[in-house]
Amino acid sequence: MTITGIVTILMFVLAPYIWFIIAGLVIIVALHFSAYLRGYQITRHHSVIALLLAGLVGLTAYVWIPWLTHSKLDYVATVFDWVALTGAAIAAFIVALIVLHPLSYLISDRRIH
Amino acid sequence: MHKPLLLNRRELLKLGTGLGVSSLIPLSAVSANTLQTQAHIVILGGGAAGMAMANRLATRLEGGTITLVEPRETHHYQPGWTLVASGVWQPDKTMRPNAQFVPRGVKWVREYAASIDADNKRISLANGATLNYDYLVVATGIQLNYHLIEGMSPTLVGQHGIGSVYASLDGAIRTNQAIQTWLDHGQGKGIFTAAPTPVKCAGAPMKMTFTTLSRLEASGRRDAFDVEYMAPGTSLFSQPWVNEFVKQRFDEQGVTRRHHYRLSAIDPQAKQAEFTFIGPESEFTSHHQLREAEFRRENQPTVIADYDFIHVVPPMSAHDFIKQSALIAQDGPFRGEWLDVDIYTMQHNRYPDVFGIGDVIGAPINKTAASVKAQAPVVEANLLAVMQGNPLPARHTGYTSCPMITGIGKAMLVEFGYEDNFAFMPSFSFIDPTDESWVTWVMKDRMLQPAYYAVLAGQA
Repeated sequence: MTITGIVTILMFVLAPYIWFIIAGLVIIVALHFSAYLRGYQITRHHSVIALLLAGLVGLTAYVWIPWLTHSKLDYVATVFDWVALTGAAIAAFIVALIVLHPLSYLISDRRIH
Repeated sequence: MHKPLLLNRRELLKLGTGLGVSSLIPLSAVSANTLQTQAHIVILGGGAAGMAMANRLATRLEGGTITLVEPRETHHYQPGWTLVASGVWQPDKTMRPNAQFVPRGVKWVREYAASIDADNKRISLANGATLNYDYLVVATGIQLNYHLIEGMSPTLVGQHGIGSVYASLDGAIRTNQAIQTWLDHGQGKGIFTAAPTPVKCAGAPMKMTFTTLSRLEASGRRDAFDVEYMAPGTSLFSQPWVNEFVKQRFDEQGVTRRHHYRLSAIDPQAKQAEFTFIGPESEFTSHHQLREAEFRRENQPTVIADYDFIHVVPPMSAHDFIKQSALIAQDGPFRGEWLDVDIYTMQHNRYPDVFGIGDVIGAPINKTAASVKAQAPVVEANLLAVMQGNPLPARHTGYTSCPMITGIGKAMLVEFGYEDNFAFMPSFSFIDPTDESWVTWVMKDRMLQPAYYAVLAGQA
């Protein structure tokens, strides 16, 4: 299959989820902007809780991603299966961290004031 | 029923396709020529093949007339029916309005075709109207011949333990219910059949067996259920490696295989099926020469089998009005049953202004939407060449693909073509067609439907 063909099909794959993706991006941007207005800086804020929770999301992704696809971890068998699932789990960890990190700042910030 | 995503989806697809095209295709490909013409092209059938051709030709032709003859308002994603019948998908997921796919500038005639007069280039419609054409693309799909099984009717699906994923979307829903009823009964015998003719999605009868086995195993009472697979020939699948794999897997999963039996009659009230033993010398695979007149043979031994659930696969052929036209194959293995085309160029063997695509063609494999993906560019290029009086530039390799579901949650991506005894033709080097894989299942579950719609839109 050509790269063009893959790109075209990926666009069709994403099309039904476009509002979900946009909504997710809006939430993330709003969170970061809201935290930024309260002095949040991504490199200066440290949150063990956010890191742990994001790690939990990433680890449990090995179970819930197969479940979301009507499958189960037992059927993740080939090398490419594991590469793909690990990539998806890392992506889930990153997305969770991007959400939880400013959120933890906002929550702690609110508690202090 | 369907969310009004059309505008946004189209915008996104245009953007994505535009990006892909602008960054990845050589300029020579971008400037694909359009053809000025006054010709009238009629496309018979608006399934995957017909719709793909309508979209492709609409972008390549200027000035001509394209007429699409398709009576249905709803497009069914039929590859999803096995997932509906297995209880994995919701039925609504497989439906879209046809209007979503018909390109601008194409005249859509919402009527059934009744006959084709190929010598006079004329088509009669069911409402009595006629259409004249300069070029014809036959994409009418397949006819389900349930009537060749005595006592069987698609209306029976869902009752008396009868399932049939091929019948319709409603049939797939009722097949799922029939399987669930059998499961809830907690025991009994299930019989899975195959047809003695080429069928669309040749893997579907096996997919239904494998997904039902998954459900039986998940019930925790697998030993209480008997499962039999009745095959008309020695083979279960045309691709040799896959054929052996499925046989071995059936044996491992406790499926009793019986070969050279075809389902000839059914008694729904008694839950009994009659199978005719067609002899070990018979090999009804894709290359069969079976015709309806030959189908009802006398003096063949039969057996009666009780069942609690039976999955019926009907004999299939081209539609009757194709069979009654001059376009039908008149000799060779597909005579009387399928459209007579050159399986490499897709051009009709006797009427050069006629092309065939999709399930209707007489070919040893190829009755899947994946085949349409490979055939559509060939038909497009060759039809345009014929319109310009040029030699046919494109050849179809026979590429076809079957995501062979081997259980709910796992599958093998089987891709192969005509050459070297249906040798594998994998699209992705990192996916071994002989491996059962979660990724392949995800492709089946999540990606092949978008890919299918990309084919319909003429973009893949």
